[in-house]
Amino acid sequence: MSNFEYMGQVTIGQYLPLDSFLHHLDARARILIFSFTILLITFEPKLTGLLACLILVVIGLVLGHIPLRYAIRGLLPPLPFLIILAVLQIFIAGKITPSPILFQYGVIAITVSGIWAGVSLIVRFTGLILGLSLATFCLSTSHLVHGLEALLRPLNRIGVPTRDLIMVIQVTVRFLPILAQTAERIAKSQAARGAEWGIGRGNLFQRARQVIPLIVPLFISSLHQAENMALAMDARAYGSNSMPTSMVDLNFRLLDGLVVAGDLVLCLAILVFAH
Amino acid sequence: MPALIEVNHLSYVHPQAAPAALPALQDISFTIEEGELVSLVGANGSGKTTLARHMNALLVPTSGRICIGGFDTRQEKDYSTIRSMVGMVFQSPEDQIVGMTVEEDVAFGPENLGIAPAEIRRRVNTAIETVDMQQFRLRPPHQLSAGQMQRVALAGILAMRPSCIVFDEATSLLDPQGRRDVMDLLRQLNREGLTIIYITHFMEEAALANRVIALNQGKIVLDGTPAEFFSGQARLEEIGLSLPPAAALVVQLRPVLPALPLGLLTGESLLSALPSCPMPHILVTNRKPMARPVSPVLIEVSNLGYTYLRGTPFAQRALAGVSLKAGDHINHGLIGATGSGKSTLLQHLNGLIRPQEGTVRVGPFTLNDAKISLKTVCQYAGLAFQIPEAQFFEQYVGDEVAFGPRQMGMKKGLAGPVRQAMELVGLDFEKFKDRLTFTLSGGEKRKVALASVLALRPTVLLLDEPLAGMDPVSHRELLAGLKGLSGQGMTLVVSSHYMEDLVDLAENLTLLKSGKDVLSGSNSAVFSSQEILRQAGLEPPLVTRVAQCLRQQGWPLPEGVIHAQDLVSLLEQTLRGATA
Repeated sequence: MSNFEYMGQVTIGQYLPLDSFLHHLDARARILIFSFTILLITFEPKLTGLLACLILVVIGLVLGHIPLRYAIRGLLPPLPFLIILAVLQIFIAGKITPSPILFQYGVIAITVSGIWAGVSLIVRFTGLILGLSLATFCLSTSHLVHGLEALLRPLNRIGVPTRDLIMVIQVTVRFLPILAQTAERIAKSQAARGAEWGIGRGNLFQRARQVIPLIVPLFISSLHQAENMALAMDARAYGSNSMPTSMVDLNFRLLDGLVVAGDLVLCLAILVFAH
Repeated sequence: MPALIEVNHLSYVHPQAAPAALPALQDISFTIEEGELVSLVGANGSGKTTLARHMNALLVPTSGRICIGGFDTRQEKDYSTIRSMVGMVFQSPEDQIVGMTVEEDVAFGPENLGIAPAEIRRRVNTAIETVDMQQFRLRPPHQLSAGQMQRVALAGILAMRPSCIVFDEATSLLDPQGRRDVMDLLRQLNREGLTIIYITHFMEEAALANRVIALNQGKIVLDGTPAEFFSGQARLEEIGLSLPPAAALVVQLRPVLPALPLGLLTGESLLSALPSCPMPHILVTNRKPMARPVSPVLIEVSNLGYTYLRGTPFAQRALAGVSLKAGDHINHGLIGATGSGKSTLLQHLNGLIRPQEGTVRVGPFTLNDAKISLKTVCQYAGLAFQIPEAQFFEQYVGDEVAFGPRQMGMKKGLAGPVRQAMELVGLDFEKFKDRLTFTLSGGEKRKVALASVLALRPTVLLLDEPLAGMDPVSHRELLAGLKGLSGQGMTLVVSSHYMEDLVDLAENLTLLKSGKDVLSGSNSAVFSSQEILRQAGLEPPLVTRVAQCLRQQGWPLPEGVIHAQDLVSLLEQTLRGATA
């Protein structure tokens, strides 16, 4: 693979237009079940509970017809960091909670609770990454935005400008591929003039320094593009009517309700039984 | 009933402009009625875009006024009405798409106007049908080509049911087919009663309007029919414009073909006005294609295949078995529609992309060998990207040009190569080295971008659409500059949408279609293959089409005439032969 294909290396955040049970649920239902599950993975303290969550996410991947190998690829880039964090966790957590020592060398002691904490951390982040990937695989940005808008609509009554908030999210999401493409273009044009870019050589500091010449033009070009987009939005009467409408009509069926209820019950069950 | 657009003594000063700066627009007055087809022309920086942005209240006059259907644009409460009356399609395709799918983007305008969902759905369907994008309705915008995005942008405006659409250089970044599609759509909409105003750098497009408004330094210099506008060549050049190619060719042909009427502005009208040969049938002897001087092969590509995002659900095959040979000191042109693989191929030639299938050899380097570093290859083969100025990263012109040599480890004596590179493209070193890059004009920016590639003194110069988006004068200057470069011992590989330019810029051509090379040969041989070119969405240069048409009218012309001078002298010979 070319060093410059930034879009291809990140699997998280890519919607996969598949024809699955999950994809056919109402957008609000999908947002709710993904939120419940991801919240649970974030706050579940016990390893058994986390493993149960992981199983729940894998069931989700299967229901969403997501190729498992594709989903797992998203785990690879952050893996080194996870391992470093887990190792740190082993040492630190072992110091905080007293537990039997398995191995000791000077000040370094490895305890049962430390190992437990390290493994938990890996499982938790695996679950989070897979869960977030699942959400993005099954929820197109447009569904996400429309679903969120519908879920947040009640806030309109207390004066929260939900449509503008949603527009902020929408434009941000719209800009992600544009940014990736711009970054690719800038990196390529610098590399074509001899910059050691995308080679991945050198230590962390050197590599970070290579990014600086990319960031500045990326900012300038993004500001420029944002200005253009603001003009285009203005030209299409954005904000000139106080009662904008929406073409998308969401339809929350009984099945959607059942799935949301089912997921909520499962999540609560994991929370309760793991303790 | 008030006129659709009424402009009265409009002047505009950019709010951030220096106090002494000239106003961007000065005392502009005109009226546009419903149903008109108006083209707005002028050199870069003449104020076209600024004027266009007044037409739907994106800008408000500093003095004077502009009324849209009777509504003064200074009344903020009428913006919704004004913007539903006058829609605007911008130059840059990707920046104006807000929605996350084609369909939703088209719905954006009507949603803002507060139209009922069922009606929006109806309008979106009709608009998408009008621009023929049905099969892409659920695609995210970044997976569309530039031409497709521009059609989506138009659909988004159509769904607002405006009575007038303003196109701000909407075709300048498109390939010939995309340009034709947009121009056809725009004329069709005008026939259906919509008022159309379009800004363009292509004089042949301006010639299609019913009315031309020309701006120069913020003032209207002419407002009349295309025939009136194009009647004085000298005045056109003065304001940085030119005759449409057809009219320019008529000027050259009239001495030999006096029967040609003046005032032919489009290729079609010229082709249908060509006289038949006054002499009885003469046997046409086909000229033997000129043998190219034999030279060693410099670039050799064989069976090159490449898939972007290989192994993901977004895999996209860009090259599917391309072979190409370019000789030393023989400039090579790459032609083909957008998405045919030209850019991907060029990026293989300096090692940015390494071959997945097949082999690439550029000069002494075999690029399949991963040990050959990009840094080595890019000193040998310099690549200038499409719209290279968009990737400027230094503040000053001098630093931008010096970036390459600096990366190569040069610390002192940078001025030498920088000066040399800048002078090669016709930029004065002393005058430009300390200029801020963003203060340069469009043509100057392009030259700096070229100079920054030349600073590495490459043997092979790879150019991706070097002339896209330039106004006629900058276009001519750059073209002359590029021709000069090939005289400096550099071998050029150029991709371009402008067939006319390749006549002079490339001796050999390769036509790409869906990632394969479908035709290679000398430029005259390739341009004579009209059928194959048409199938690939291209059209031979006007001179070739005229020569072909004259042949059909009985003129004894050989195939493969691509230069206007050749055509004129061949016609002269025929006529002299007849009188002798």
